[in-house]
Amino acid sequence: MADTLARFTSLVVSACATILLLAIVVFIARESWPVWSSFGLKIITGTDWSPLASPPQLGLGTMVLSTLWVALGAMFIAAPLGFSGAVFLAEFAPAWLAGVIRPVLNILTGIPSVVYGFVGATVLVKWFEVSFDMASGESLFCASLVLTVMVLPYIVTTSEAAIRSIPAEYRQAALALGASRPYVALRVLLPLAKKGLLGALILGFGRAAGETMAVLMLAGNTLHLPTSWFSKGEPLSALIALELGTSEAGSPHYQALFAAGLVLLIILFIINLILTVIRKDYGRVVRKN
Amino acid sequence: MISRSFWDRFLLATFWSAGLAILLVLTGIIGYLLLRGGSSLTVEFLTTAPRGLPLGTSGGVLPAIKGTLLLVLIAVLAAAVPGLITAIYLSEYGESSKFTTLVNITIQCMAGIPSIVTGLFGYAFFVVYLGFGFSLLAGGLSLGIMIFPVIVLTARDALLAVNEQYRLAGAALGVSRWYMLHRVIIPQAAPAILSGILLAMGYAAGATAPIMVTAAVISAGMSGGLMEPVMALPYHLYILFSQHISMEKAYGTALLLVLLLLFLNITALLLKGRQGKGGY
Repeated sequence: MADTLARFTSLVVSACATILLLAIVVFIARESWPVWSSFGLKIITGTDWSPLASPPQLGLGTMVLSTLWVALGAMFIAAPLGFSGAVFLAEFAPAWLAGVIRPVLNILTGIPSVVYGFVGATVLVKWFEVSFDMASGESLFCASLVLTVMVLPYIVTTSEAAIRSIPAEYRQAALALGASRPYVALRVLLPLAKKGLLGALILGFGRAAGETMAVLMLAGNTLHLPTSWFSKGEPLSALIALELGTSEAGSPHYQALFAAGLVLLIILFIINLILTVIRKDYGRVVRKN
Repeated sequence: MISRSFWDRFLLATFWSAGLAILLVLTGIIGYLLLRGGSSLTVEFLTTAPRGLPLGTSGGVLPAIKGTLLLVLIAVLAAAVPGLITAIYLSEYGESSKFTTLVNITIQCMAGIPSIVTGLFGYAFFVVYLGFGFSLLAGGLSLGIMIFPVIVLTARDALLAVNEQYRLAGAALGVSRWYMLHRVIIPQAAPAILSGILLAMGYAAGATAPIMVTAAVISAGMSGGLMEPVMALPYHLYILFSQHISMEKAYGTALLLVLLLLFLNITALLLKGRQGKGGY
């Protein structure tokens, strides 16, 4: 009796959880619907953002570009660093050092993004201002650098797991042929783990693209189309955080901010979907014995 | 031609420096905050409300501490029970049906929703649609939605990590699933489940984006009413910095926030380490 009840309750609650996710997506889509139906895809491709003008200009192109630029930039720096760190942990680190670094990675993921943003703004931005004599040091590059630090733990942990899952035979065979250990790591292990490494990068990209506080404090928040890594920009998440409070509920401005949220959600769902497909042959749930 | 041994050394040096860089980043961040914020983290800072003009230039952060604790409390109250039940379903009852796969994927997707989008939903649904206004309740529930997938995933993994022998022994003795679950499996997994909840609490305490659009304001009284806006530590830090109110207080607030999260996360790590004492 208790068993049936438990099974039933847990089924209902899980169903509600699934519906909640659906509700979030539907709600955000519904709130933004009027601007999609009147502007269409011009919302994504347009680069003019003056929501209070009449008629309002609601192009999110600048912000979409900033989001992608910041996140891809972070991946560009984080990939070599993260993969090297993962190889180090899996192959070269003495046990005691690995035993220190792993909890450190864990703790790094726990530091809130506003603190990363704050430290980045007081250290990096200051440094850029002083050493390059810039009026204000914020840029997409600064934001990418801080995002790199933020996503590094995820990339290192996931990549290390991928490298460790390579059967020992490959390592032994390569070493038996007289290859040195660094050579084996670079030419045998990394290529064999490439699926897992790609998964790690995608995971990191998703984290970076959805991040708000760090980019809000570091990217400079101007509405010009970014032309280089060192120009300022305003990613989608920063736009929402800055303008939601001042937008009137139900106005085109408000609806356009929900459109921005929807675009961000779609970018991240696509990423998650790719990740799920890649991970499929790892097995989703593994019972440990 | 560059010799092979040079390459080996070069690669080895790269791998080592990447590993050490990770250590350096953490010690760098914490050391920097301790150095700059240590002096402003006084008893007075912890026990008084912000004062001065503009507000925050002197005084402390007591209302922000209280606000953060309340927000986290509401988030955990709202998310823990449904989270645990979903985890139990996924690990114990859901065998490998299509529906389980769907729930698994949904939870993964939810974990991938950026916190600002959760905030956006919270604003539209709780603040505007349900008419809660900018309030503790709206912020706490938004944070609850945000930490829900974290609780489900950590609890699910904790339950799955319980030794399979117990399940087999239970089945062999003809004990019902529910009895097995609440007498053997949940007690075994309890430390790891609790660790996941602590992690989720830390995640909620540090999150700024969802509360800045649903609950947090620059200044609020100490009343702590459910329908009142609140101050919160991460938002306070953001305001102190972005409005150039007081860098000294901002360093202090950042240090306090990091120390709070270090405490939560290290406790969570230690708890997790306790799992699996049951032997085989």
